[in-house]
Amino acid sequence: MFQTMNIAKGVNVHVNETTQFKTINFSLKFKDKLTKEKASARSILANVLQHSNEVYPSHTALRMVLDDLYGTSLYIDSSKRGNEHIVTLNVETVNDQYLSEEGVLEKVLNLMYIVLFKPNLENGFFKETIFNREKEAVKQRIESIFDEKTRYAQQRMLELALPEHPASIPANGTLEEVERVTNEKLFEEYQAMIHDNEIEIYAVGDIQAETISAYLKEYFKFEDRETSVDAPAVELVQPAQSRVVEFEEMKQGKLHMTFYTPITFRDEKFPVMQLMNGVLGGYAHSKLFVNIREKESMAYYVSSSYASQFGLMFVLAGIDSKLEEKAVKLVLEQLEEVKKGNITDTELDQTKALLVNQLREALDSARGQIDIYDQYMELTEAFEPDYLISKWKAITKEDIAQAAQQLSLEMTYFLSGKEDDSVE
Amino acid sequence: MNKVHFDQLDETLYKEQLPNGLEVYILPKKGFSKTFATFTTKYGSIDNHFVPFGGEEPIKVPDGIAHFLEHKMFEKEDGDVFQQFSKQGASANAFTSFTRTAYLFSATDQITENVGTLLDFVQSPYFTEKTVEKEKGIIAQEITMYDDQPDWRLYFGIIENLYKNHPVKIDIAGTVDSIQDITAEHLYTCYNTFYHPSNMVLFIVGAVEPESMMDFIKANQSQKTFEEPKEIVRMYPDEPIEAAVKERTLEMSVQKPKVFVGIKPEALNLSGDEMLKHELAAQLAYELLFGRTSDFYHQAYESGWIDESYSFDYSLENGFGYALIGSDTAEPEVLAREIQHTLDNAMEKWPFGQADLDRVRRKKIGFFLRALNSPEYIANQFTRYAFNGMNLFDVVPFLEALEVPDLQAAFATVSAESQRSVFTILSPKKETV
Repeated sequence: MFQTMNIAKGVNVHVNETTQFKTINFSLKFKDKLTKEKASARSILANVLQHSNEVYPSHTALRMVLDDLYGTSLYIDSSKRGNEHIVTLNVETVNDQYLSEEGVLEKVLNLMYIVLFKPNLENGFFKETIFNREKEAVKQRIESIFDEKTRYAQQRMLELALPEHPASIPANGTLEEVERVTNEKLFEEYQAMIHDNEIEIYAVGDIQAETISAYLKEYFKFEDRETSVDAPAVELVQPAQSRVVEFEEMKQGKLHMTFYTPITFRDEKFPVMQLMNGVLGGYAHSKLFVNIREKESMAYYVSSSYASQFGLMFVLAGIDSKLEEKAVKLVLEQLEEVKKGNITDTELDQTKALLVNQLREALDSARGQIDIYDQYMELTEAFEPDYLISKWKAITKEDIAQAAQQLSLEMTYFLSGKEDDSVE
Repeated sequence: MNKVHFDQLDETLYKEQLPNGLEVYILPKKGFSKTFATFTTKYGSIDNHFVPFGGEEPIKVPDGIAHFLEHKMFEKEDGDVFQQFSKQGASANAFTSFTRTAYLFSATDQITENVGTLLDFVQSPYFTEKTVEKEKGIIAQEITMYDDQPDWRLYFGIIENLYKNHPVKIDIAGTVDSIQDITAEHLYTCYNTFYHPSNMVLFIVGAVEPESMMDFIKANQSQKTFEEPKEIVRMYPDEPIEAAVKERTLEMSVQKPKVFVGIKPEALNLSGDEMLKHELAAQLAYELLFGRTSDFYHQAYESGWIDESYSFDYSLENGFGYALIGSDTAEPEVLAREIQHTLDNAMEKWPFGQADLDRVRRKKIGFFLRALNSPEYIANQFTRYAFNGMNLFDVVPFLEALEVPDLQAAFATVSAESQRSVFTILSPKKETV
């Protein structure tokens, strides 16, 4: 799928030459350690760099040149994976072949260079007005989570269950830490990102690997940098409370449950946990959906998800606020079934078939190819779908039951719509 | 089977209308592993007043019924259709909009079997009073979930403001109360009226071999019998051009107020090429006025009136449409006023020339070509365009043909003060202790 070339120590270029898409996609991923401070500063940095630069000194000027390049999309985002914080420059541009104009790709590469290396400075720091405005934008993004009650409930639960753990550190940082970032500090983070971060560069489209990597090497001139030793996973400690109920002015109750598992992404049993999660609550044929939604008619959504980097599994359901206890009981009953190995051949086959489909489908988008390859890089040198598919195929019900037996319920969080449920 | 090649886009579309009236489109995509299929009826939440199949007099049905019917299509006497799709490695789903109900799957294997399942389950209704009753709890939770989403409430709030009579103002899923009235008999009436193959489109895109797939579909359809198609009589009330309500606010649990300014278009009965030209021209005009390179955006962003949630959009269907501009904002009144000023100024003196048009046109062409990487976008949008008598693959030539006066003319019909409305969500005032 991807050809990999090393252009400096700690800087790799991965290219997939393909005519599958009408566009060419680039992702430049800058990887650093995940802390609240770093996540906060780097989120502001992402905004400041995509606002403007030395060559296009206003937001409008930069957006106009992107429009002229046939609406090339360019944005920088902040994300996390395990203990890592990742700032990604994402660029997608139309393949010249479909346009009446040539040379678009070269202009886009040049623009990527400008965005990263020619920031909009004033007296050696980022322009103060832009710094302040983008700091405000990141704060607003963090605050807006409150409006989406499912996201808000999930974030609240993680903060309560695992404070200070990478699992609960938001990729955009925290209000408190964003507030503390100074313009000086931001410039330090910028220097660290460009000079010290490990960088993975991806390109997908009708392009030549050699040409792209030669161009990046010659013009971007990334220096050698230390490649960090993989930081060990941070241990999961038991939450201080096992059940928390909070209230908001809303109609539906949001049930969020956290389970711990010793099986993480790097564990050989990782594919078993993927299947276990699928059998329990990953799909419309799964036990939670069939029993809690279809049989009991008490939820529209009820599902489980597996955060393999941390060894966490979550169950989420939107229910009437009076039914928390009943819902928890039903979820645990279904999990008990999995633990006992009460899984039909059909359930096993369906789950395997859908995992395979999901993986193959994800690889039908350039963004999906990049994300999956980047994620599996630490497990296998050149990821191919069969790496996972062959493992899933071999898994038995007994394997799944054993994985389920290792789960422990650590916290039940309920965001309730009504303060007093005794009145009915 | 007809075959049309679009040179500029490097895509080939195969199409055929079957004897029962069903329109089938197949678009093979090179290099893709997956196939995405949608089976869509031209029937949505706005079709609540119509002459039932075989009847004479128009009837009105409970709010939310098209969406309810969509849910119930999945349940059969021998179980749930999701189970069957999962066995065949397909992810299945469905959605109901104002004008369409679509059933869909994506799969990388057993494509023929999955297409068969898709056709068969949508063409074999099974509703009983018991299964209908059971669904009410699930849909009530779905409605409640949407009720708690401020962005959804904002969207529906502004549409309710703009429309006086048209059923677009009714929430697609109905209300917890309205769905209580739905019976199995209602569902059969709606099904028989709107699910005739002549009112439906099947679109298949991805890793698919057109000839053998078309043969399979024809064989599947020829085994089934359908009534002779009848023209569907849908009744829509008269709708004034003016916005029904000028201003309204709602209190909800939000961190910051949210506001939408909505503008109702004047021309609500367009279709075909005329509609395509108008929609694209108005979208470009709005892009120039409110897009990220506009003076408005620059001022609003730097002044802190808008944040990253800012959006603007223009969309049109037969009978209704809306332009929407808004954001989360600490200053909803200032933002709404400035949006209206921008509209007033553009009405008074049109500020854009050829260079502006060329720039946003390039942006739009780029967006469209990017979107053609997505089988989901192609199938959903192609069907929407087809139901309005338009062809999705005409977008680029139509964009290329637009001239500055076209933008100005389209904008003139979606801008007047009387057609505007403002909807705001505020957080409830907390009692200070």
